[in-house]
Amino acid sequence: MQIEIINSPGNAAAKVVLDGGEKLVAESGGMIAMSADVSVVTSSKTKGGGGFMKGIKRMLTGESFFLNTFTAPSQGGEVYLAPGLVGDMVIYELDGSRELIAQGTSFVGSGEDVELDSNWQGWKSAMFSGESMFWLHCKGSGPIILNSFGGIYEKEVDGSYIVDTGHIVAFETSLRFDVQKAGRSWFSALAGGEGLVCRFEGRGRLFCQTHNANNFGWSLSPMLRPRN
Amino acid sequence: MQAEIRYRPSFATVFVELSGQDRIVAEADAMASMSTNLGIDTHLSRSFFSALGKKFFGGESLFVNEFYVESGQQGELVLTQNTPGDIVAIELNGGGICLQPGAFIACTSGIELKTQWAGFKSMIAREGLFKLYLCGKGKVWFGAYGGVVEKQVQGEYLVDTGHLVGYEPQLQLKLQMAGGVFSSLFSGEGLLSRLQGNGKIYLQTRCLQGLASWVNPRF
Repeated sequence: MQIEIINSPGNAAAKVVLDGGEKLVAESGGMIAMSADVSVVTSSKTKGGGGFMKGIKRMLTGESFFLNTFTAPSQGGEVYLAPGLVGDMVIYELDGSRELIAQGTSFVGSGEDVELDSNWQGWKSAMFSGESMFWLHCKGSGPIILNSFGGIYEKEVDGSYIVDTGHIVAFETSLRFDVQKAGRSWFSALAGGEGLVCRFEGRGRLFCQTHNANNFGWSLSPMLRPRN
Repeated sequence: MQAEIRYRPSFATVFVELSGQDRIVAEADAMASMSTNLGIDTHLSRSFFSALGKKFFGGESLFVNEFYVESGQQGELVLTQNTPGDIVAIELNGGGICLQPGAFIACTSGIELKTQWAGFKSMIAREGLFKLYLCGKGKVWFGAYGGVVEKQVQGEYLVDTGHLVGYEPQLQLKLQMAGGVFSSLFSGEGLLSRLQGNGKIYLQTRCLQGLASWVNPRF
Protein backbone atom coordinates (compact mmCIF):
# COMPACT_ATOMS: atom_id res chain seq x y z
CA MET A 1 0.00 0.00 0.00
CA GLN A 2 1.35 3.39 -0.98
CA ILE A 3 -0.23 6.51 0.43
CA GLU A 4 0.44 9.99 -0.81
CA ILE A 5 -1.00 13.13 0.77
CA ILE A 6 -1.82 15.68 -1.91
CA ASN A 7 -2.89 19.35 -1.65
CA SER A 8 -1.50 19.68 1.87
CA PRO A 9 -2.12 21.65 4.07
CA GLY A 10 -5.11 23.59 2.75
CA ASN A 11 -7.27 20.93 1.16
CA ALA A 12 -5.42 17.68 1.75
CA ALA A 13 -6.58 14.36 0.32
CA ALA A 14 -4.98 10.92 0.48
CA LYS A 15 -4.26 8.96 -2.66
CA VAL A 16 -4.00 5.29 -1.68
CA VAL A 17 -2.57 2.84 -4.19
CA LEU A 18 -3.45 -0.77 -3.32
CA ASP A 19 -1.70 -3.90 -4.56
CA GLY A 20 -3.83 -6.81 -5.72
CA GLY A 21 -6.03 -8.10 -2.89
CA GLU A 22 -4.91 -5.43 -0.44
CA LYS A 23 -7.51 -3.88 1.86
CA LEU A 24 -8.07 -0.32 3.10
CA VAL A 25 -10.42 0.55 5.96
CA ALA A 26 -11.95 4.01 5.85
CA GLU A 27 -14.45 6.14 7.68
CA SER A 28 -17.83 6.02 5.92
CA GLY A 29 -18.28 8.95 3.59
CA GLY A 30 -14.53 9.46 3.27
CA MET A 31 -14.10 8.07 -0.25
CA ILE A 32 -14.12 10.66 -3.03
CA ALA A 33 -13.02 8.49 -5.96
CA MET A 34 -11.68 5.02 -6.73
CA SER A 35 -10.88 2.56 -9.48
CA ALA A 36 -14.08 1.02 -10.84
CA ASP A 37 -13.25 -2.56 -9.87
CA VAL A 38 -12.33 -1.94 -6.22
CA SER A 39 -14.96 -3.63 -4.07
CA VAL A 40 -16.51 -2.03 -0.99
CA VAL A 41 -17.88 -3.81 2.05
CA THR A 42 -19.63 -1.79 4.76
CA SER A 43 -19.51 -3.16 8.27
CA SER A 44 -19.22 -2.15 11.89
CA LYS A 45 -16.48 -4.75 12.33
CA THR A 46 -12.78 -4.08 12.31
CA LYS A 47 -9.69 -6.20 12.72
CA GLY A 48 -9.72 -7.58 16.24
CA GLY A 49 -13.35 -8.59 16.13
CA GLY A 50 -16.25 -6.77 17.64
CA GLY A 51 -19.26 -5.73 15.69
CA PHE A 52 -22.31 -3.94 16.87
CA MET A 53 -20.92 -2.82 20.24
CA LYS A 54 -17.68 -1.70 18.67
CA GLY A 55 -19.70 0.35 16.20
CA ILE A 56 -21.63 1.96 19.05
CA LYS A 57 -18.43 2.71 20.91
CA ARG A 58 -16.91 4.15 17.78
CA MET A 59 -19.89 6.47 17.47
CA LEU A 60 -19.10 7.79 20.95
CA THR A 61 -15.67 8.84 19.72
CA GLY A 62 -17.33 11.10 17.15
CA GLU A 63 -16.49 8.60 14.42
CA SER A 64 -19.05 6.86 12.22
CA PHE A 65 -20.82 3.60 13.20
CA PHE A 66 -19.91 1.91 9.97
CA LEU A 67 -16.54 1.56 8.34
CA ASN A 68 -15.95 0.79 4.70
CA THR A 69 -13.42 -1.79 3.65
CA PHE A 70 -12.04 -1.33 0.15
CA THR A 71 -10.48 -4.37 -1.50
CA ALA A 72 -8.36 -4.08 -4.62
CA PRO A 73 -8.82 -6.57 -7.48
CA SER A 74 -5.90 -8.79 -8.48
CA GLN A 75 -4.40 -6.12 -10.75
CA GLY A 76 -4.49 -3.51 -7.93
CA GLY A 77 -6.39 -0.25 -7.69
CA GLU A 78 -6.53 3.14 -6.09
CA VAL A 79 -8.79 5.01 -3.68
CA TYR A 80 -8.90 8.72 -2.84
CA LEU A 81 -9.94 9.68 0.68
CA ALA A 82 -10.79 13.14 1.97
CA PRO A 83 -12.50 14.62 5.04
CA GLY A 84 -15.46 17.00 5.07
CA LEU A 85 -13.69 20.13 6.26
CA VAL A 86 -10.69 21.97 4.87
CA GLY A 87 -7.38 21.00 6.44
CA ASP A 88 -4.27 18.88 6.54
CA MET A 89 -3.63 15.11 6.65
CA VAL A 90 -0.74 12.98 7.93
CA ILE A 91 0.23 9.33 7.74
CA TYR A 92 1.29 7.52 10.89
CA GLU A 93 2.92 4.11 10.59
CA LEU A 94 2.18 1.53 13.30
CA ASP A 95 4.87 -1.12 13.58
CA GLY A 96 3.49 -3.24 16.41
CA SER A 97 5.83 -1.73 19.00
CA ARG A 98 3.80 1.43 19.56
CA GLU A 99 0.16 2.31 19.85
CA LEU A 100 -1.60 5.51 18.92
CA ILE A 101 -4.53 7.34 20.47
CA ALA A 102 -6.36 9.59 18.04
CA GLN A 103 -9.17 12.04 18.40
CA GLY A 104 -12.17 10.21 16.88
CA THR A 105 -12.93 12.84 14.28
CA SER A 106 -9.29 12.79 13.11
CA PHE A 107 -9.49 9.25 11.75
CA VAL A 108 -9.75 8.94 7.96
CA GLY A 109 -8.54 5.44 7.17
CA SER A 110 -6.05 2.68 7.93
CA GLY A 111 -4.49 -0.53 6.68
CA GLU A 112 -6.36 -3.77 7.35
CA ASP A 113 -4.01 -4.91 10.12
CA VAL A 114 -4.72 -1.87 12.24
CA GLU A 115 -7.04 -2.64 15.13
CA LEU A 116 -9.42 0.16 16.07
CA ASP A 117 -11.02 0.42 19.46
CA SER A 118 -12.50 3.20 21.51
CA ASN A 119 -10.72 4.23 24.60
CA TRP A 120 -11.91 5.94 27.73
CA GLN A 121 -9.42 8.52 28.90
CA GLY A 122 -11.07 9.32 32.19
CA TRP A 123 -13.76 11.70 33.33
CA LYS A 124 -11.57 14.76 33.28
CA SER A 125 -10.64 14.18 29.68
CA ALA A 126 -14.22 13.42 28.71
CA MET A 127 -15.56 16.57 30.30
CA PHE A 128 -12.85 19.09 29.76
CA SER A 129 -10.41 18.11 27.02
CA GLY A 130 -12.57 19.75 24.35
CA GLU A 131 -12.49 16.49 22.41
CA SER A 132 -14.94 13.59 22.27
CA MET A 133 -15.84 11.48 25.29
CA PHE A 134 -13.95 8.52 23.87
CA TRP A 135 -10.76 8.37 21.89
CA LEU A 136 -9.81 6.01 19.12
CA HIS A 137 -7.16 3.51 20.19
CA CYS A 138 -5.13 2.17 17.24
CA LYS A 139 -3.07 -1.00 17.63
CA GLY A 140 -1.42 -3.54 15.37
CA SER A 141 0.61 -2.66 12.32
CA GLY A 142 0.16 -0.65 9.19
CA PRO A 143 -0.53 2.94 8.22
CA ILE A 144 -3.16 5.25 9.74
CA ILE A 145 -4.37 8.34 7.91
CA LEU A 146 -5.34 11.26 10.12
CA ASN A 147 -6.86 14.62 9.27
CA SER A 148 -7.28 17.95 11.03
CA PHE A 149 -8.87 21.36 10.72
CA GLY A 150 -5.74 23.40 10.04
CA GLY A 151 -2.16 22.28 9.56
CA ILE A 152 -0.80 19.32 11.54
CA TYR A 153 2.48 19.83 13.37
CA GLU A 154 4.36 17.12 15.15
CA LYS A 155 6.03 17.47 18.52
CA GLU A 156 8.56 14.97 19.86
CA VAL A 157 7.73 15.22 23.53
CA ASP A 158 10.53 14.38 25.93
CA GLY A 159 9.43 15.47 29.37
CA SER A 160 6.30 17.55 29.17
CA TYR A 161 4.31 19.75 26.78
CA ILE A 162 1.05 21.72 26.93
CA VAL A 163 -1.62 21.69 24.24
CA ASP A 164 -4.76 23.81 24.32
CA THR A 165 -7.99 21.82 24.42
CA GLY A 166 -9.30 21.21 20.93
CA HIS A 167 -5.86 21.16 19.29
CA ILE A 168 -4.96 17.48 19.85
CA VAL A 169 -4.97 15.21 16.80
CA ALA A 170 -3.20 12.08 18.09
CA PHE A 171 -0.47 10.88 20.45
CA GLU A 172 1.48 7.73 21.20
CA THR A 173 0.42 5.72 24.24
CA SER A 174 3.85 6.28 25.77
CA LEU A 175 2.49 9.76 26.55
CA ARG A 176 -0.02 10.38 29.28
CA PHE A 177 -2.05 13.52 29.58
CA ASP A 178 -3.92 15.34 32.26
CA VAL A 179 -6.30 18.26 32.02
CA GLN A 180 -5.22 21.24 34.08
CA LYS A 181 -5.66 24.99 34.23
CA ALA A 182 -3.56 27.24 32.04
CA GLY A 183 -1.14 29.33 34.06
CA ARG A 184 -0.72 29.27 37.81
CA SER A 185 -3.99 30.76 38.95
CA TRP A 186 -7.64 30.17 38.16
CA PHE A 187 -7.91 33.89 37.38
CA SER A 188 -5.36 33.47 34.63
CA ALA A 189 -7.05 30.34 33.30
CA LEU A 190 -10.52 31.84 33.13
CA ALA A 191 -9.93 35.51 32.36
CA GLY A 192 -7.09 34.74 29.96
CA GLY A 193 -9.41 32.73 27.78
CA GLU A 194 -7.11 29.72 27.69
CA GLY A 195 -9.13 28.00 30.38
CA LEU A 196 -8.10 24.38 30.61
CA VAL A 197 -5.20 22.86 28.77
CA CYS A 198 -3.88 19.32 28.31
CA ARG A 199 -0.51 18.61 29.83
CA PHE A 200 1.36 15.69 28.28
CA GLU A 201 4.04 13.78 30.19
CA GLY A 202 6.43 11.13 28.97
CA ARG A 203 8.26 10.45 25.78
CA GLY A 204 6.66 10.05 22.38
CA ARG A 205 5.20 11.65 19.32
CA LEU A 206 2.36 14.12 19.58
CA PHE A 207 0.35 15.56 16.67
CA CYS A 208 -1.40 18.91 17.05
CA GLN A 209 -3.63 20.91 14.74
CA THR A 210 -2.91 24.59 14.18
CA HIS A 211 -6.59 25.57 14.14
CA ASN A 212 -9.70 24.53 15.98
CA ALA A 213 -12.93 23.96 14.07
CA ASN A 214 -15.09 24.78 17.10
CA ASN A 215 -13.43 28.17 17.54
CA PHE A 216 -14.05 28.94 13.89
CA GLY A 217 -17.68 27.96 14.41
CA TRP A 218 -17.96 30.31 17.39
CA SER A 219 -16.56 33.17 15.32
CA LEU A 220 -19.10 32.57 12.61
CA SER A 221 -22.16 31.75 14.69
CA PRO A 222 -23.07 35.32 15.77
CA MET A 223 -23.60 36.13 12.09
CA LEU A 224 -25.83 33.14 11.43
CA ARG A 225 -29.54 33.62 11.82
CA PRO A 226 -31.61 31.16 13.81
CA ARG A 227 -33.00 28.18 11.96
CA ASN A 228 -36.71 28.52 11.33
CA MET B 1 13.07 35.72 20.25
CA GLN B 2 12.66 33.84 17.04
CA ALA B 3 9.34 33.71 15.32
CA GLU B 4 8.25 32.01 12.14
CA ILE B 5 4.88 31.88 10.41
CA ARG B 6 4.21 28.41 9.01
CA TYR B 7 1.33 26.83 7.06
CA ARG B 8 0.80 30.00 5.04
CA PRO B 9 -1.45 31.12 3.53
CA SER B 10 -4.36 28.80 4.35
CA PHE B 11 -3.62 27.99 8.01
CA ALA B 12 -0.94 30.46 9.03
CA THR B 13 0.30 29.86 12.57
CA VAL B 14 3.03 31.63 14.53
CA PHE B 15 5.77 29.43 16.03
CA VAL B 16 7.78 31.41 18.60
CA GLU B 17 10.98 30.46 20.45
CA LEU B 18 11.19 32.49 23.65
CA SER B 19 14.46 32.90 25.53
CA GLY B 20 15.99 35.20 28.15
CA GLN B 21 13.91 38.30 28.80
CA ASP B 22 11.52 37.78 25.88
CA ARG B 23 7.91 38.53 26.58
CA ILE B 24 5.03 38.18 24.18
CA VAL B 25 1.51 39.49 24.68
CA ALA B 26 -1.21 37.45 22.98
CA GLU B 27 -4.93 37.70 22.52
CA ALA B 28 -6.89 35.47 24.91
CA ASP B 29 -7.20 31.92 23.55
CA ALA B 30 -4.53 32.44 20.85
CA MET B 31 -2.27 29.75 22.34
CA ALA B 32 -2.47 26.37 20.59
CA SER B 33 0.38 24.67 22.43
CA MET B 34 3.49 25.55 24.45
CA SER B 35 6.41 24.28 26.48
CA THR B 36 5.64 23.62 30.13
CA ASN B 37 8.34 26.01 31.34
CA LEU B 38 6.51 29.08 30.02
CA GLY B 39 4.78 31.33 32.50
CA ILE B 40 1.51 33.12 31.79
CA ASP B 41 0.52 36.48 33.26
CA THR B 42 -3.04 37.49 32.57
CA HIS B 43 -3.90 41.15 32.76
CA LEU B 44 -6.30 43.76 31.47
CA SER B 45 -5.16 44.77 28.06
CA ARG B 46 -4.43 48.35 29.31
CA SER B 47 -6.21 50.76 31.57
CA PHE B 48 -9.52 49.40 32.80
CA PHE B 49 -11.74 51.64 30.70
CA SER B 50 -9.67 51.18 27.66
CA ALA B 51 -9.83 47.42 28.17
CA LEU B 52 -13.57 47.62 28.65
CA GLY B 53 -13.80 49.58 25.44
CA LYS B 54 -11.70 46.97 23.74
CA LYS B 55 -13.97 44.21 24.96
CA PHE B 56 -17.33 45.71 24.15
CA PHE B 57 -16.59 47.89 21.19
CA GLY B 58 -13.29 46.77 19.75
CA GLY B 59 -14.25 43.13 19.38
CA GLU B 60 -11.25 41.83 21.30
CA SER B 61 -11.09 40.33 24.76
CA LEU B 62 -10.88 42.26 27.96
CA PHE B 63 -7.75 40.38 28.98
CA VAL B 64 -4.53 39.47 27.27
CA ASN B 65 -1.98 36.82 28.19
CA GLU B 66 1.68 37.64 28.59
CA PHE B 67 3.98 34.67 28.01
CA TYR B 68 7.57 34.54 29.32
CA VAL B 69 10.33 32.09 30.22
CA GLU B 70 12.39 32.00 33.37
CA SER B 71 15.79 33.55 32.63
CA GLY B 72 18.34 31.21 31.15
CA GLN B 73 15.65 28.94 29.73
CA GLN B 74 14.07 28.47 26.34
CA GLY B 75 10.54 27.66 25.45
CA GLU B 76 8.25 27.20 22.47
CA LEU B 77 4.92 28.93 21.99
CA VAL B 78 2.46 28.30 19.14
CA LEU B 79 -0.09 31.04 18.47
CA THR B 80 -3.04 30.86 16.11
CA GLN B 81 -6.32 32.52 15.22
CA ASN B 82 -9.90 31.27 14.96
CA THR B 83 -10.30 31.62 11.22
CA PRO B 84 -8.30 29.83 8.56
CA GLY B 85 -6.18 32.33 6.70
CA ASP B 86 -2.93 34.21 6.54
CA ILE B 87 -1.03 36.03 9.29
CA VAL B 88 1.04 39.19 8.87
CA ALA B 89 4.02 40.15 11.02
CA ILE B 90 5.04 43.80 11.05
CA GLU B 91 7.81 45.67 12.82
CA LEU B 92 6.83 48.93 14.50
CA ASN B 93 9.52 51.48 15.14
CA GLY B 94 7.69 54.22 17.01
CA GLY B 95 4.87 54.19 14.48
CA GLY B 96 1.50 52.58 14.85
CA ILE B 97 -1.15 50.43 13.22
CA CYS B 98 -4.94 50.38 13.49
CA LEU B 99 -6.52 46.94 13.48
CA GLN B 100 -10.09 45.93 12.80
CA PRO B 101 -11.92 43.90 15.47
CA GLY B 102 -10.68 40.36 15.84
CA ALA B 103 -7.49 40.80 13.81
CA PHE B 104 -5.01 41.16 16.67
CA ILE B 105 -3.09 38.00 17.60
CA ALA B 106 0.06 39.01 19.47
CA CYS B 107 2.81 41.58 19.97
CA THR B 108 6.13 41.88 21.76
CA SER B 109 6.10 43.60 25.15
CA GLY B 110 7.32 46.99 23.85
CA ILE B 111 4.03 47.56 22.04
CA GLU B 112 1.17 49.44 23.64
CA LEU B 113 -2.44 48.40 22.98
CA LYS B 114 -4.96 51.23 22.96
CA THR B 115 -8.52 51.72 21.93
CA GLN B 116 -9.54 54.71 19.88
CA TRP B 117 -12.92 56.18 19.17
CA ALA B 118 -13.95 55.04 15.71
CA GLY B 119 -17.23 56.93 15.39
CA PHE B 120 -20.87 55.96 15.15
CA LYS B 121 -20.64 55.28 11.45
CA SER B 122 -18.18 52.55 12.26
CA MET B 123 -20.78 50.91 14.47
CA ILE B 124 -23.34 51.05 11.67
CA ALA B 125 -20.81 49.23 9.53
CA ARG B 126 -20.64 46.58 12.29
CA GLU B 127 -17.02 47.43 12.94
CA GLY B 128 -17.51 48.57 16.54
CA LEU B 129 -17.39 51.96 18.23
CA PHE B 130 -13.73 51.70 19.03
CA LYS B 131 -10.79 50.50 17.04
CA LEU B 132 -7.66 48.88 18.26
CA TYR B 133 -4.55 51.01 17.94
CA LEU B 134 -1.08 49.58 18.53
CA CYS B 135 2.06 51.68 18.81
CA GLY B 136 5.58 51.55 20.17
CA LYS B 137 8.64 49.52 19.31
CA GLY B 138 8.48 45.86 18.50
CA LYS B 139 6.66 43.25 16.52
CA VAL B 140 2.94 42.83 15.89
CA TRP B 141 1.14 39.79 14.46
CA PHE B 142 -2.37 40.03 13.10
CA GLY B 143 -4.51 37.62 11.17
CA ALA B 144 -6.97 37.55 8.35
CA TYR B 145 -9.70 35.29 7.03
CA GLY B 146 -8.35 34.34 3.61
CA GLY B 147 -5.19 35.72 2.07
CA VAL B 148 -3.74 39.17 2.73
CA VAL B 149 -3.22 41.91 0.19
CA GLU B 150 -0.84 44.67 1.19
CA LYS B 151 -1.39 47.98 -0.55
CA GLN B 152 0.34 51.35 -0.40
CA VAL B 153 -2.32 54.05 -0.58
CA GLN B 154 -1.42 57.41 -2.04
CA GLY B 155 -4.16 59.95 -2.10
CA GLU B 156 -7.43 58.09 -1.97
CA TYR B 157 -8.58 54.50 -2.08
CA LEU B 158 -11.85 52.66 -1.57
CA VAL B 159 -12.19 49.29 0.15
CA ASP B 160 -15.10 47.14 1.21
CA THR B 161 -15.29 47.61 4.99
CA GLY B 162 -15.49 43.91 5.80
CA HIS B 163 -12.26 43.23 3.94
CA LEU B 164 -10.15 45.86 5.66
CA VAL B 165 -7.93 44.26 8.34
CA GLY B 166 -5.52 47.04 9.27
CA TYR B 167 -4.20 50.41 8.19
CA GLU B 168 -1.56 52.90 9.21
CA PRO B 169 -2.91 55.59 11.55
CA GLN B 170 -1.94 58.55 9.36
CA LEU B 171 -4.68 57.45 6.98
CA GLN B 172 -8.11 59.04 7.42
CA LEU B 173 -10.95 56.57 7.22
CA LYS B 174 -14.44 57.61 6.18
CA LEU B 175 -17.40 55.38 5.63
CA GLN B 176 -19.59 55.93 2.66
CA MET B 177 -22.16 54.21 0.51
CA ALA B 178 -20.99 52.31 -2.53
CA GLY B 179 -22.70 54.72 -4.89
CA GLY B 180 -26.20 56.11 -4.96
CA VAL B 181 -28.94 54.62 -2.82
CA PHE B 182 -29.80 52.14 -5.59
CA SER B 183 -26.33 50.70 -6.04
CA SER B 184 -25.73 50.65 -2.29
CA LEU B 185 -28.75 48.43 -1.87
CA PHE B 186 -28.40 46.27 -4.95
CA SER B 187 -24.74 46.19 -5.93
CA GLY B 188 -23.99 43.96 -2.94
CA GLU B 189 -21.14 46.24 -1.97
CA GLY B 190 -22.88 47.88 0.98
CA LEU B 191 -20.60 50.21 2.89
CA LEU B 192 -17.22 51.23 1.67
CA SER B 193 -14.33 52.74 3.55
CA ARG B 194 -12.69 55.71 1.87
CA LEU B 195 -9.07 55.96 2.92
CA GLN B 196 -7.33 59.27 2.47
CA GLY B 197 -3.65 60.11 2.85
CA ASN B 198 -0.45 58.18 2.40
CA GLY B 199 0.10 54.87 4.12
CA LYS B 200 -0.16 51.13 4.02
CA ILE B 201 -3.36 49.10 4.26
CA TYR B 202 -3.93 45.36 4.70
CA LEU B 203 -6.91 43.66 3.11
CA GLN B 204 -8.26 40.14 3.59
CA THR B 205 -9.40 38.29 0.49
CA ARG B 206 -12.44 36.78 2.27
CA CYS B 207 -14.71 38.04 5.03
CA LEU B 208 -16.73 36.06 7.57
CA GLN B 209 -19.84 38.04 6.74
CA GLY B 210 -19.56 36.70 3.20
CA LEU B 211 -19.47 33.10 4.44
CA ALA B 212 -22.39 33.78 6.80
CA SER B 213 -24.52 35.22 4.04
CA TRP B 214 -23.80 32.16 1.94
CA VAL B 215 -24.69 29.77 4.77
CA ASN B 216 -27.79 31.59 6.07
CA PRO B 217 -30.21 30.89 3.19
CA ARG B 218 -29.23 27.22 3.35
CA PHE B 219 -30.41 26.70 6.90
